[in-house]
Amino acid sequence: MVVWQTIWSQIMDLTLIVVLLRFMTPILLTALGGLISDIGGVINIGLEGLMLLSAFTSIAVASGTDSWLLGVLAGVAASVLICYGMGFFAIRLKVDIIIAGFAVNIFGSGFTIFLMSKIYGLTGNYNPTGAPKIPLVDIPFVQDVPVLGKLLSGHSLMEWIAFLSVVFCIVLIYRTPYGVHLRAVGEAPQAARSLGIPVERVQYSALAWSGVFAGLAGAFLSNGLTNMFVKDMTAGTGFLALAVVLLGNRNPAGILIGSLIFGLASALTTIVQTIPGSPVPSQFIQMIPYVVTIAALVFFALRKKRRLEIAA
Amino acid sequence: MKTGKALYLELAGIAAAVFAALLCGFIVILLTSKEPLSAISALVMDPLANSFNIGTILNKAVPLMLTGLAISVVFQAGVFSMGAEGQLYVGGFLGSLAAVYVPGLPVWVHLPLILACAVLGGALFGAIPGALKAYWNADEIVTTLMLNFIAILTTSYLVNNVFKDPESGGYARMPYIDPGLLLGKIVPGFSAHAGLLVALGAVAVVYMLLYHTSIGYELRLVGKNPQFAKYGGIATPRVIVLSIVISGALAGLAGIVEILGIHSTYKDNFSAGLGFDGIIIALLARNHPIGVLAASLFYAYLQVGAQTMQVGSDMPREVAVIIQVLLVLFVSSQAIFAYIKQKFVSGQKAVG
Repeated sequence: MVVWQTIWSQIMDLTLIVVLLRFMTPILLTALGGLISDIGGVINIGLEGLMLLSAFTSIAVASGTDSWLLGVLAGVAASVLICYGMGFFAIRLKVDIIIAGFAVNIFGSGFTIFLMSKIYGLTGNYNPTGAPKIPLVDIPFVQDVPVLGKLLSGHSLMEWIAFLSVVFCIVLIYRTPYGVHLRAVGEAPQAARSLGIPVERVQYSALAWSGVFAGLAGAFLSNGLTNMFVKDMTAGTGFLALAVVLLGNRNPAGILIGSLIFGLASALTTIVQTIPGSPVPSQFIQMIPYVVTIAALVFFALRKKRRLEIAA
Repeated sequence: MKTGKALYLELAGIAAAVFAALLCGFIVILLTSKEPLSAISALVMDPLANSFNIGTILNKAVPLMLTGLAISVVFQAGVFSMGAEGQLYVGGFLGSLAAVYVPGLPVWVHLPLILACAVLGGALFGAIPGALKAYWNADEIVTTLMLNFIAILTTSYLVNNVFKDPESGGYARMPYIDPGLLLGKIVPGFSAHAGLLVALGAVAVVYMLLYHTSIGYELRLVGKNPQFAKYGGIATPRVIVLSIVISGALAGLAGIVEILGIHSTYKDNFSAGLGFDGIIIALLARNHPIGVLAASLFYAYLQVGAQTMQVGSDMPREVAVIIQVLLVLFVSSQAIFAYIKQKFVSGQKAVG
């Protein structure tokens, strides 16, 4: 069986783990963004669109200014800006937050193609030569150690940022006054308001945080994982991230595990796709995260129901 | 429920939202195009310039009507299903299987069988998230999104590996359906196909169902106030499942009509978002079947306009996306509509 041999050899030489880390990064970052907006009670289903906007902005700016850092910052800024726009419609004009997010997704997909066509005269993908990428972090000495070197060294800076973001989110949500406000607004906005918490401002900021993380993820897609922008290149990552938020039972550590599962499925999919005549269709491996998510949703819902029954 | 003045205000509000969204689109064109006037004229006038374009508008409106109805039914039941896309694939796939692989039936038996398979496929696939929500309280937004992927991937696998026409090369499809089974032109020489009649029939059926049957009444009641419906003796879980099942049936019908009318066989990834367009249609239509009819025609007009603009000027057709997004946001803004009502309706009442 060629497939198992290939997968096994890739596990043994740690390639699978390297690929896994690379693939889980955008999912993890976006899911953390989704988590913060979810906890703040402003569920952002527009993550997909935000990622696309950031992906395009960041590669365009990076290639224009010859700086990956400016590219990433511009991508994040664009994403956050759209989040404020989304907030304006959802909070001020009282558009249902799901509809606002839905609109952001359509906008992200269409507007990036519009910009690509208007600025570069291209329709399918924008592939600038020599645009600087988000750098890889080579750790001196460690990189020469046989196994440890491959595990720890040579990853993209954004992969490290993603892992640090998990810690950052734990601190932000559970250890700061802002986190308390955020959770209060998400749980009971009326009660929060009566306690003097500026509910709207917290909701705007929760959306903005989701924009920051979706922006980082989008920038990584175009400026790290690849070195180009392809229309609709997110291919459902934003929706996966939404699922990861629920799969991770709405906490950062759970989301880390959820992203691992999704990243693993993506990594295996690419490996299987590159093997000719594979007996396991890649479509079915691609499907694993979705099935797992549905199962997890049912599991959490059942557990909640049982707890309620015990409490009653 | 809404009568007289409230209805007119609602319609006027929607018209204003459409106008505002179009205006924003024109501003974008004015700012970015070197030939803005010809671009705007290509966007607004060209879709109606000849009978071929008008036929294209009608053909594009057909799947939009059906998916718009599908989404309207679930939204009226207060269920936020995003699953029309997946249900459309499953329905279209099963219908095509019946069309390609069931031989030797007379058309008047075969065609109803095809439609029944598509409707049943969509309905059963819709029953999954329905049951998950009704009995296990699993969030339907996420389950339907996940099931969309599952449907698209499964059908893609099957059409690429099991049911692929050996002659179809890199772009996977099933063998072509017998031309006698396809939906022909309504009037010879005019490009609109008979799917339009199916869609119009569906509008009428859904209207009757929602507003003139007890099922429709229960469905709307559950959507308005699930607690009240429950105390009123309505089996809420059953109604929730039923709403997604009906929705899935309509989405499945949309899939097979699109295949029989446009594609002539099942093609991998044939939909490209028709199910999601249905969400936009339902929002514009305020979930009302008659509104769905109008909204689909307008939306199809906009889509064709975007294409004629891309051909006739320097603007890419994605400008229409900006208009669509603003349209969705303006029409869905409860604040704007509450403001209109307060300004014009409660004007006579003494508001303190």
